[in-house]
Amino acid sequence: MPFTILTGDSFTSTGVGVKINLPSSADYFVTTNITQMPLAPNPGVVIRGEWYGSKFGVGATAANDGIRWKKTNSTNALLIDTFATSTASNGFTYITTSPYVEAQAANAITAITAASPAVVTQTNTYSEGDFVRLYSTTGMLQIGGMVFQISSVSGSGYTLTGLRAAGFAAAATAGFTRRVSKNAAVDPEFLYITEITKATQAVVRTSVDPTPYYVVGNKIHFSVPASFGMKEINQLTGTIVAVSAANYTVTVDIDSTAFTTFAFPTSASSPTSALFATYAPAGSATTFNPNTLVQTGYEFQKTPFHTGQFTPYMFLAGGAQSPAGASGDVINWMAYKLET
Amino acid sequence: MATGITNINNMAPELPLQFSEDLLSTPMFNLIHSFGSDLHYAEAHIGKTTRMSRYERLSTDGGQLDGSGIDPAPEVVVRTDIDATMEIYAKTVVINEQVTLYENDKVLTKFTALLGQWLREKEDLLMRDLYASSVSYINATGGVNGDQPSEISRNDINNIERILLGNDARTMLEGIDADLKFGTAPTRDAFIALASTDITPDLQNVQGVLLKNAYPHQEGLRPEEYCSVSRFRFFVSSKAAKIPGASLLGNTVYTIPMYGLEASAKIEQNNYSAILGYRPPYVVSSVAQNSQLYAKFAIARAITNQNWISGLNVTSRL
Repeated sequence: MPFTILTGDSFTSTGVGVKINLPSSADYFVTTNITQMPLAPNPGVVIRGEWYGSKFGVGATAANDGIRWKKTNSTNALLIDTFATSTASNGFTYITTSPYVEAQAANAITAITAASPAVVTQTNTYSEGDFVRLYSTTGMLQIGGMVFQISSVSGSGYTLTGLRAAGFAAAATAGFTRRVSKNAAVDPEFLYITEITKATQAVVRTSVDPTPYYVVGNKIHFSVPASFGMKEINQLTGTIVAVSAANYTVTVDIDSTAFTTFAFPTSASSPTSALFATYAPAGSATTFNPNTLVQTGYEFQKTPFHTGQFTPYMFLAGGAQSPAGASGDVINWMAYKLET
Repeated sequence: MATGITNINNMAPELPLQFSEDLLSTPMFNLIHSFGSDLHYAEAHIGKTTRMSRYERLSTDGGQLDGSGIDPAPEVVVRTDIDATMEIYAKTVVINEQVTLYENDKVLTKFTALLGQWLREKEDLLMRDLYASSVSYINATGGVNGDQPSEISRNDINNIERILLGNDARTMLEGIDADLKFGTAPTRDAFIALASTDITPDLQNVQGVLLKNAYPHQEGLRPEEYCSVSRFRFFVSSKAAKIPGASLLGNTVYTIPMYGLEASAKIEQNNYSAILGYRPPYVVSSVAQNSQLYAKFAIARAITNQNWISGLNVTSRL
């Protein structure tokens, strides 16, 4: 038999990148946009994508690339080229090792506003919900090296929901980003803290949405250097009593009312200040209410330590010009393996 | 050219090559990420998640009786549960009969040894990933390379010692007594630190570093050990955790977990900790030409006490 079809399935696109876990290494991968295939939209969209693995030698697909079959504007005529050529768009990225990143080319920033939330100006091809690491952020060096989840993404910029930068002395005027993985090699993972309120139950904001990793009842351990002000919470362990995907926050049972105010160090002092403030998983404390019969503090998919990202997998970039399609598109995919 | 002489020009060697009597070594990286973890075992037939529980100590506040006869308020005992999911990993090698027929070596034996090495290497990397993903690290700032984090320094190491001691962590390695040997010095009882081989030049420059050769005794030391600084003994591996482009200036950041007793756990599945197997040709191939070797193991991993593990993010200078 010349090849094996490893696996295949379909999904309805939400317009963002999709990871396809593969039970074995793959040599060929194909996607078909079932929704767009019979249509002739303007502008034309990608209806089929192909990826070739390393067994194809010089013909192998580069990271974030692949062959795209694209309808030309308003007709059924097909244009076949690669994702990287003509009007470049994101394609396939095959990941075999962990920790890992998907497409990680450095991309220049022109500005980050000192606002709450902060807004980044940058020509980009990122997708909604992507994680990016910022560095060399001139004027805002205190966040250089942190990973942020991005939202309200357009081709010219996006919002950092997890960064309340109104208290910063100045906006950033330059810098770089690299897209990184949304999952660490092992979950639950440590997260970067960007804000802690002074309250009877402290509300802790992180640079990414914490809800994929933490649930009510989980315990978290704080590491907050004195350079961030609220040194009293450093090395304390708290139990999560609420989580918010909209605000990127968790609320913990730690009374921070009398603590020193949490604040990032200044940009000027950052090269010599201890960075960063983080929290890490410290177990769970399950509770059970005998009156309501409700048990809290546990989710089998999140709470136990487990591999954050299965490998190998294929990352399909999202969008009308990419293999994962635009929101609402039905995408069929199949992975193959050569036997010789 | 001389004529009439039988030489290798007119009579070439019958065999173009010969094998040396011994195979060369197969490269293997230092395995440093497992030996400091507690080993637990999971029973079969009761699920894939292992729970490790700890009762937290009681508060020492109050407690004095004033003679009024009123009992002190009871304290609710807190139990912390640490859970870990069992995962299974496997590797296989399929061998065509012509390889076993023509190869000089006993390839099935050699390939089995390779699979055994894979088992240990994969396990090491999985434990490394746990430390890299699920622990809070502090950026080193005591160095002079101008980046954030900086290269490692004595002040940074002392800061981690302060954190661990402040959280009542226990050291893992016993001290090495002084001896009457020139150029040696004793080591204190120590926590473990795991670092990349990329930063060994910087380690040599840390104030107060005691390189391994300067320990008073060498018996029982692991080959992976590199040096001792303050209350930490450093073990190095080329596969230790590092993150490309993650510093303030976009340089590689090296993650150094530093921990004491019972900070992490490795859980093995009973009767499934490491399996090496062979499938004969009549099973693997319809014409009985291919056989198969495989290795499997099951592992779960967890940080069991965040108070007793910390660490540094560093960049390199030298």
